[in-house]
Amino acid sequence: MSEDSMSSTVISLENIAVNRFGYGARGDELTHAKAAPKKWLSAQLQVINFTDEQPTSADVFVAHAKFQKQKKLMKQQKKQTLSSQDKEKSKMMKGAARKTYIKMSAASLKQAITSEHSVSWRLLDFFSNHFSVSTAGRLMVGLSPTLEREAIAPNLLGNFADMLLAVEQHPAMLIYLNNEKSFGPNSRMAKKRKVGLNENLAREIMELHTLGVDGGYSQSDVIELAKGITGWSVKRPKKEHGSGFVFRAYAHEPGSRELLGKKYAQHGIKQGQQMLRDLAMHPNTATYICNKIAHHFVSENPPQSLITKMQNTWLNNQGNLKKVMLTLFDAEESWIAQPQKFKTPREFVISTYRAIAPKNINSRALFNSLNNLGQMPFNAGSPAGFSDDESDWLGASALMARVEWSSLVSGQKKSINAKRIMATALGNSISQNTYQMVMRAESRQQASTLLLMSPEFQRR
Amino acid sequence: MIDNKKTINEPLTLSSVSPLVDEDTLSRRKFMKMAGASLAVLSFPMASAFAVQAKGKSTFNSKTKPKIIWVVLRGALDSLHTIVPTFDTQYAKLRPKLSTSFNSPLLPLEKGFALHPSLRNLHHWYQDKSLLPIVAVSSGYAKRSHFDGQDFLESGKGEIDHDSGWLARAIEVKSKSALAIARSTPISLRSSLVRSEQVNTWYPSKFKSADEDIYAALNELYKNDAALKENLTSALKVKGLVAENAEGNKIQKGKFVDLAKSCAKLITAEQGVDCAMLELGGWDTHNNQSNRLSRKLTELDTGLAELKAGLGDEWQNTVVIIGTEFGRTAKENGTGGTDHGTASALFLAGGAVNGGKVKGRWPGLKPDELFQQRDLMPTSNSFGWMASVLSQHWQFSEQELQQVFPQVKSYSDSLIHS
Repeated sequence: MSEDSMSSTVISLENIAVNRFGYGARGDELTHAKAAPKKWLSAQLQVINFTDEQPTSADVFVAHAKFQKQKKLMKQQKKQTLSSQDKEKSKMMKGAARKTYIKMSAASLKQAITSEHSVSWRLLDFFSNHFSVSTAGRLMVGLSPTLEREAIAPNLLGNFADMLLAVEQHPAMLIYLNNEKSFGPNSRMAKKRKVGLNENLAREIMELHTLGVDGGYSQSDVIELAKGITGWSVKRPKKEHGSGFVFRAYAHEPGSRELLGKKYAQHGIKQGQQMLRDLAMHPNTATYICNKIAHHFVSENPPQSLITKMQNTWLNNQGNLKKVMLTLFDAEESWIAQPQKFKTPREFVISTYRAIAPKNINSRALFNSLNNLGQMPFNAGSPAGFSDDESDWLGASALMARVEWSSLVSGQKKSINAKRIMATALGNSISQNTYQMVMRAESRQQASTLLLMSPEFQRR
Repeated sequence: MIDNKKTINEPLTLSSVSPLVDEDTLSRRKFMKMAGASLAVLSFPMASAFAVQAKGKSTFNSKTKPKIIWVVLRGALDSLHTIVPTFDTQYAKLRPKLSTSFNSPLLPLEKGFALHPSLRNLHHWYQDKSLLPIVAVSSGYAKRSHFDGQDFLESGKGEIDHDSGWLARAIEVKSKSALAIARSTPISLRSSLVRSEQVNTWYPSKFKSADEDIYAALNELYKNDAALKENLTSALKVKGLVAENAEGNKIQKGKFVDLAKSCAKLITAEQGVDCAMLELGGWDTHNNQSNRLSRKLTELDTGLAELKAGLGDEWQNTVVIIGTEFGRTAKENGTGGTDHGTASALFLAGGAVNGGKVKGRWPGLKPDELFQQRDLMPTSNSFGWMASVLSQHWQFSEQELQQVFPQVKSYSDSLIHS
């Protein structure tokens, strides 16, 4: 048995390349990666183009404005009797935002499932979770899925500062963390009306998006950054022309600011932008995010030497994310031959479908799968995003749900071939025990369930 | 350094007496028979899911055991909007909008405090002397990050330790058992020293159950992966206990009120657990606080009422501890909400609680009385009160308390009926 357990913990290099850094092997990826795993990995970093023609954040605002208009109309007509047609229309509009959100979430998942560059999708999902937004309220239901498409994907292989600025100026983030109505205490607006500062976004920018909670900032830094980004707001489609980000000078706190000991004398929007650019290149930001990337891709306890390599790349290359990722791929520390991580539900579901490659996947069912496994898209419910730790995903109840889901998926495909899926997904990196259990299973469904639930498939 | 110990070839060290756990060498056929039998027993609602911890003890009756239910409100509850200091003239000045936003009368407590109108059930309990609100408490964490604040509160050690929680250390000292209504073990119930059969997790599943054969096969499949095997074993123990409730196989949505119902059911099973943990998020009210808190507090109030109803007579032996990571700014912000603060409130509820009064010294709301001139000043430590509960409800000695809350001493106030 000791021999068996030895073999169960060693993974081939091509398996590491495809399964640790990507969303799991699909088709003959393992064969392709085998010749030169590192080269295969580097070629995986490709710009992500969303080809699915889903609504943009601007579309979401237009639809939302229409919905509110209809709602108002309904309210006015409440005393009169409503025609059933009107009722139906209102009901449809009410559900429309949620439908769109489910469609968009599923569309992203499907692209990750069929992509030939799944490593880039892992990276996109990493940053989408890093800049986590949740669907609280009707407007956020529609807006949440647009952030990764409009602010993160276009900057995925560029400099972190550009991604940071795009995210913090995107309506989804501004509304989610309440900056759109944050007013400088001495702004022109505050002199006329009783309005004031909201420090939520500023705090999370430093705690979660850049420096990290131990990144060396104080409460007064939070307030200074909050003041620096006052006026960063979102257009109201009913009252203003167009939609999206707007800088409101009358809401901005006048005067210069001091953040982390540095003075910012800029006026208007430039002040906050410079603050964010400096935060993006702060050494603590480099440490925090490189550590988080290594934690995500490689191990919950990444070696310090790996972090140092990545951090140096970050600081010497304007926080260029592609170069940081290449450093990660190049480091020997990333290629530990034992599995280091337990897949999150998202990783588990995507890698399953990549291995099985069904002809059609029902969007609704795909979305529900993630929901029921505990990782509903854009629903971390906290700006910290979903956890990336085994202890938060490997629980008794969570494991049971995975067993049930695996059984369900295995039963859905007629004449599912576990042996073929095993070869596609894991190649030779499989223990004798698992191999025998799968081959000896009493039915096709059971064989596939066991394979999907095997330690080799659950871990990477 | 890489923690190579955490790989899957770790030898099994389960020192368990459960037939489901120690059968490393059990034949598949035999296991299937056994698992099948266990599952059949488990699907009977009053069956024992936790026979393990009761084995070897003289009493099999859980009905007289003192229970603790730990409820964590994630997101930082604004205590000033929940237990309103109506006597404090600063209150309306700091919160001109919020203080006038209550749409029904506040529910009076002693000393001029009053409960938010949504907490109707809790107020009844207060009148029955089974609710004890404690004002101006803090865990000692003062840096205003939700996530660190919650981890700090759950650790209970005066520092963040993701692998050691206060409730886990408590059940370790007294060899008790616990259940978390969660998909995986929350920090409060993590400890390397607690035996795996002492802590269980349960969360409603929406999938159809898999064929029972599969569980036997999985047990064999996981023979070299201790973590997977442990969780499988644990899951099989709870399986079936909650699934078939009175309403048939109705799909549960994971709402707090449903979770609270299921929690009560699991606790009151014949050899149920000694303590349980529930979580409720959504308290981070940076904007539109008045409406949002009305909704959230109603959800909390209704959920706790269901918990009480489900516990039946057990309520008399129960202490529910309701806490949050920190409080919010004394002053309202520019968007009808409040930002991250420091001191908040702690609630003790249950038939075992010596309630009907408000504990905790009021620090005042004048600028100089506030923490850093912005937050409610803590005047006592949450862990001190929780230690008192352990001491009076679970008979912890001072020495035993040190293993749970090494940084604090318990308060001498009488919190529990003797």
